[in-house]
Amino acid sequence: MKAKITITISIACTALILTMIMFTQFKTVDETDITALETMRETELRTELASWKEKYEDVESKIEETNAKIDEYKKELDNDANTAELLQNEIKEAESYLGYNSLQGQGVIITLKNTELRDIDYSDILALVNELNAAGAEAISINDERVISITDIITVKYISILVNTKRIQAPYIIKAIGDKKYLESALNIKGGYIDLKKSEEKSVECVVDDNIIIPAYEDKR
Amino acid sequence: MDKKNKIKISILLGIMCFFLTAGIAIQINTVKKSTITVGKTLAENELRDSVFRWKQKYENAYKTLEANEKELDSLREEIANTDQSHSSLTTQLEQYNLLLGNYELRGKGVEITLKDGDSSILKGYASDFIVHDADLYEVVNALKNAGAEAISINDQRIVTNTAITCVGNTVLINNEKVGAPFVIKAIGLPAKLYGSLTIPYGYLKLLEDDGVDVKITQVEKETIVIPKYNGIYKFNFATIHE
Repeated sequence: MKAKITITISIACTALILTMIMFTQFKTVDETDITALETMRETELRTELASWKEKYEDVESKIEETNAKIDEYKKELDNDANTAELLQNEIKEAESYLGYNSLQGQGVIITLKNTELRDIDYSDILALVNELNAAGAEAISINDERVISITDIITVKYISILVNTKRIQAPYIIKAIGDKKYLESALNIKGGYIDLKKSEEKSVECVVDDNIIIPAYEDKR
Repeated sequence: MDKKNKIKISILLGIMCFFLTAGIAIQINTVKKSTITVGKTLAENELRDSVFRWKQKYENAYKTLEANEKELDSLREEIANTDQSHSSLTTQLEQYNLLLGNYELRGKGVEITLKDGDSSILKGYASDFIVHDADLYEVVNALKNAGAEAISINDQRIVTNTAITCVGNTVLINNEKVGAPFVIKAIGLPAKLYGSLTIPYGYLKLLEDDGVDVKITQVEKETIVIPKYNGIYKFNFATIHE
């Protein structure tokens, strides 16, 4: 009789331990979900590959451009009028990248408005400019103030916002030239900029436009 | 006899159970190890290879481009030397390229180091004392406001269309991965940059209060080196509006 009890108890104990171990094993297998881990790595690698390819192509096209320039300079080395023109063209191109020319093209227009609950803060605009740049914006303006390399967006005592040291007033209209579809989807992505601002009870609207005009930076250095 | 048999059975059962448990334990270990090896399957290795190849292709092309740009610079210099009327144009172009970040710069200014706070000492939300993408562009914005002439973060030059973003745990600047600690260099008047960035309620102070490890030093000698922008300026959508 006593033996029977010991046997049942020992069997019960081992069975219990076994079940516990099995459950923990199921759990770990579940957690280390092999396929998820693999695909995540793969997508990460794929985006990295795509970004290197894109960079390579950009550099390649720039090489062709510089080769053409070198050839032209060499050809016109003795012709003063033509070399002057080549230089002028290069200067004009650099001016565009610096923001000294007015530009036009497709893109998006974003309007940020104060609501009864929340005011738009300088950091909302700063974050938006960063988002637009990440989505490949080629030129950006805030209430017609061109964003250039030295542009700062600050607040004075949380009352007014200054861009390029000029006071701007609500509503804030941010224009960006670039791939309109890409810019729009980058802002509207789930959990993206627009979602975030709406959850903070701020008013934000984004419309696409085929012909956006962005003014030149006013005070050239 | 009956009792002896029962003991034998129980011992047998015990041994079987022991082996089973051992087997399961071994299996757990193999599953843990195999996930790592399985992760490095053929397809992934191939991908890794092609990432590496394209990166090399890019680097080689970039060298060619740099050589071309040097040649262009010397051609422009030649042009400037042959004709005085051209020298003003070449100087202007050089000045523009300087502003565009196409040259490496040297000067005095400040150096800021941002590091994640130590989570074993600090209490509260881990998110507070980690350096985020927003913290980096806020500091860049503050530096611009203080009159910085050139800025870089971990040797990535900050230009007009630089984006500082976060993908998972990595920060991307100019589409390149950068890791902590973040070393932000800025050329400008050291005292002005330092004074402007260390004001009470300034962004650096806020970061410090949150538990981020913040260091800022004034560099009075012209020893700060800021690399040239390694990206490409190109318009695909914008044209000049006359």
